[in-house]
Amino acid sequence: MMNSLPVQTIISYLLIFAVPMVLPVVFLKVVGLSGLRTLVTYEARDTPLHRLDPRLKVLYPIGMGILSILFTWKAMLVVFGLTILPWFWLRPSRAKIKVLMVMIIGPAIAGFWGQGLYYLPPPPIHFLYKFPWTMAWLGSPGITSYGMTFGLQQTSRVLVTVSTSMLILISTDVGDFTWAFERFRAPPHVGFALTAALRFLPEMITRVNLVFRAVELRGYDMSRPRWHQFNRWPDYARRLGRCVVLVTVPLLIGTLRGTTTMAMVADARGFGATKRRGSLRVHKTTAVDIWGYAILGVLVVGALVLNHLGIGARYYG
Amino acid sequence: MTSAAPAGQLRAEDVSFAYVGAARAALRHVNLAVAPGEVVLITGASGCGKSTLALALCGLIPARVHGELRGRVMFGSAPLSGMKPHEASQLVGMVFQNPNLQLINQTVQSEVAFGPENLALPQPEIAARVDWCLDVTGMSGMRTAAVVTLSGGQKQRTAIAATLAMQPRILVLDEPLSDLDPVGAQEVLSTLQRLARHGGTGVVVIEHRVDEVAPWADRVVLMDDGRVVLDQPPRAAWAEPGPWRATGVGIPDMVRLAHAVPEAFGSRLPLSLQEATDAVKDTWFEAALAAAAAERRSGAGQPAGRRNGRAADAAPAVGGGPPVLSWDGVSVEFDGKRAVDDVTLAVNEGEWVALIGANGSGKSTLTGLTVGLGKPSAGVVRFRGQPVRPGKVFDHAAQVALLLQAADDMLFETTVRKELEFGFRFRARPKEPVLDVPEAVEFFGFTGREEDSPWELSQGGRQRLALAALLVGAPGVLVLDEPTTGQDANHMRSFLQLLDRVRARTGITIVTVTHDIRGLASRAARVVLLGEGQVRADGPTSQVFAMSGDLIRWGVLAPPLARLQSELLGPAAGDVLLEVDELASTVLAHRPAGARAISPGTGALRS
Repeated sequence: MMNSLPVQTIISYLLIFAVPMVLPVVFLKVVGLSGLRTLVTYEARDTPLHRLDPRLKVLYPIGMGILSILFTWKAMLVVFGLTILPWFWLRPSRAKIKVLMVMIIGPAIAGFWGQGLYYLPPPPIHFLYKFPWTMAWLGSPGITSYGMTFGLQQTSRVLVTVSTSMLILISTDVGDFTWAFERFRAPPHVGFALTAALRFLPEMITRVNLVFRAVELRGYDMSRPRWHQFNRWPDYARRLGRCVVLVTVPLLIGTLRGTTTMAMVADARGFGATKRRGSLRVHKTTAVDIWGYAILGVLVVGALVLNHLGIGARYYG
Repeated sequence: MTSAAPAGQLRAEDVSFAYVGAARAALRHVNLAVAPGEVVLITGASGCGKSTLALALCGLIPARVHGELRGRVMFGSAPLSGMKPHEASQLVGMVFQNPNLQLINQTVQSEVAFGPENLALPQPEIAARVDWCLDVTGMSGMRTAAVVTLSGGQKQRTAIAATLAMQPRILVLDEPLSDLDPVGAQEVLSTLQRLARHGGTGVVVIEHRVDEVAPWADRVVLMDDGRVVLDQPPRAAWAEPGPWRATGVGIPDMVRLAHAVPEAFGSRLPLSLQEATDAVKDTWFEAALAAAAAERRSGAGQPAGRRNGRAADAAPAVGGGPPVLSWDGVSVEFDGKRAVDDVTLAVNEGEWVALIGANGSGKSTLTGLTVGLGKPSAGVVRFRGQPVRPGKVFDHAAQVALLLQAADDMLFETTVRKELEFGFRFRARPKEPVLDVPEAVEFFGFTGREEDSPWELSQGGRQRLALAALLVGAPGVLVLDEPTTGQDANHMRSFLQLLDRVRARTGITIVTVTHDIRGLASRAARVVLLGEGQVRADGPTSQVFAMSGDLIRWGVLAPPLARLQSELLGPAAGDVLLEVDELASTVLAHRPAGARAISPGTGALRS
């Protein structure tokens, strides 16, 4: 029974499409548009991480990202662990944890699953499940353990940068980023653009959510069919597409009005009046900063040494 | 053109301005002077040029807003019109209407420091300015707070602090109270008064809510069609109601009452509740008011809930019809916090109910549940006995029409006619429409404009259109979320009259969420007070507004007339009168026989 072609075909289709179909549903159910709002919101707290030198905070994700590329899988696991530990120190809100878990674990599962399906090692290949010809014509002969392991490694490398960036993002006032960029001699406009983007992204998400609600309140049918109502899904996709066109006008008008005011406020507050800006912040180096710089330094120097000695470095070619 | 203004004085000299492509000038030959330490209230109907004047006074016209400018704006002997925005903003600061759009940074202190940092000031100077601005605006305790966590009043005070950090000599505020609850408004106004009285800052407040600003203002400027039609101290400005009636702009209730019963108030117009109370305390007015209240309590007067205004007259008595909407033990949680806490409430068929409360008290969350927006963590919401299913907005929007505060966000089509037809493209037309599309065009005043774009209508027109589009779907209940925010008295009056006509025509149940205690809430037959997510008071409007102490506790100020009666009579006020004309006729009808008429200029008559 299990070896019959129809059953194998059904299992194959389920294996290949289950993850891509489940992940968006999980995102919509657990996070949604309103949940995205909390993703980039700064959480003001008094933790050592919040007080860390902003320059180090800018360097940290860059450094960790580079290390995640350079190292072998096992060495990279150590780096990955180092990016996870500070989360326990930071103790973000439950709402933020919920969103973070979906936003980080979702792509991780997708990467892991995708590589398992499509990354093919040299023969002999060990298949966890081999697809029949009715599925294999789509390009994947089956799920391989080697591919999944490779996917896990690649995803973890990406997660190192994502995790570190999110850690920094929610523990740093954007003004501190601007300060750090200016210390690195970056133009003030870079800091301002980042400030405005991070400040208004949650507002924009709220507004998009509001306009989508408004279109439903006006009697536009946005109700989703049940998963098994296959004949209704094309119509739902069509309605969704049309709705995007409908909401564009109010969104565009609202955004233009908002940006005009914001530009006038920035002008009135003297933005661009001088080439160099002053700063309220006076950063006094603390023990935490010294530890932070030391860890980053050790990691970078360690990576260089290990690469030079051919230990822990990835093999290319 | 006059000579240069005295040092520290802001002066508009024969200023006219037309926006690019506009057929008519937004400002026409405006002359205005603002001295240091002076509080000037500028008011006028929507579109009269107030906001344009604000932009000109702070130098953003012509620097950032383009058009044809004639005349000039001077600060002392310096021409402000020719300065760069950051130079002008160190003389005249501007606080815009929506604080959300002018807070660029993430925390309070970084927002306040933004301006001084841009001026490349030394760190000690920036720190000193931030400390002073936070102190003077009462925000010192929240300096590290994230902007997104602030209340409306706190955001507005942060915007004021950030503007003050540029150390302007004059502060111009464009409708700073429009999004604030009454308590938040008082926070902002007391901050402004502190700045003017103790800091010597000139303050220009552009505002429709004249009742709240009147006691603080040194001068009142009335604008109409781009011109200044009146510029006088408050008492002189409101001594003659003619110009105010002609422009359709509201007059403070205490002033209207003094005009209606001049023999009680004498020649000195009361601008505040305190002044009015002092004027009539222990006079025949108080005695007449007490006699009328006693009569009402004994049942000789009209029944409560059917007395205040036309809407109440048209509405059935409280509890008259069967429940159309009900919340049974409803709670809603966001991130572990209870926005709505165990609310049990019913709205009956044909009622007009106002939900009031401070910002964040759960009003909008509660009404959103009636169309499936949001999900209760406990309890059930019902429409005509049937549970409202969370998330099924399309299904419930046909039964309950919800008009959002930002009505512009509810318009999606290219013409007025298509906008009215919008809903019928997705669901069947109602079999028994209370208002079909051609009727709606006529009823809402769109005859001849059916093929116009909604964006060619005025703001009031767009709001009418959104309302009309909801009503052609024949809903059973109309829910209005802050429909009169930022509207002038004329517009508000028209909107309330429109609602009266809609009720008279359709008999529809109305639920309004509002901060507009004086206008919209007073119009309802029944008021529900929410505080921290719970129902704190529920009853006929005239009785709930008599509970001044309870209202203040939950962040709401009763209308000035209600507070006057509570101040004079205390608990004996019973259910209060909310219309000036009604109060005036009542006290005159109960005037003791021995009370003498007052001589002009002698103050209130003591009986």
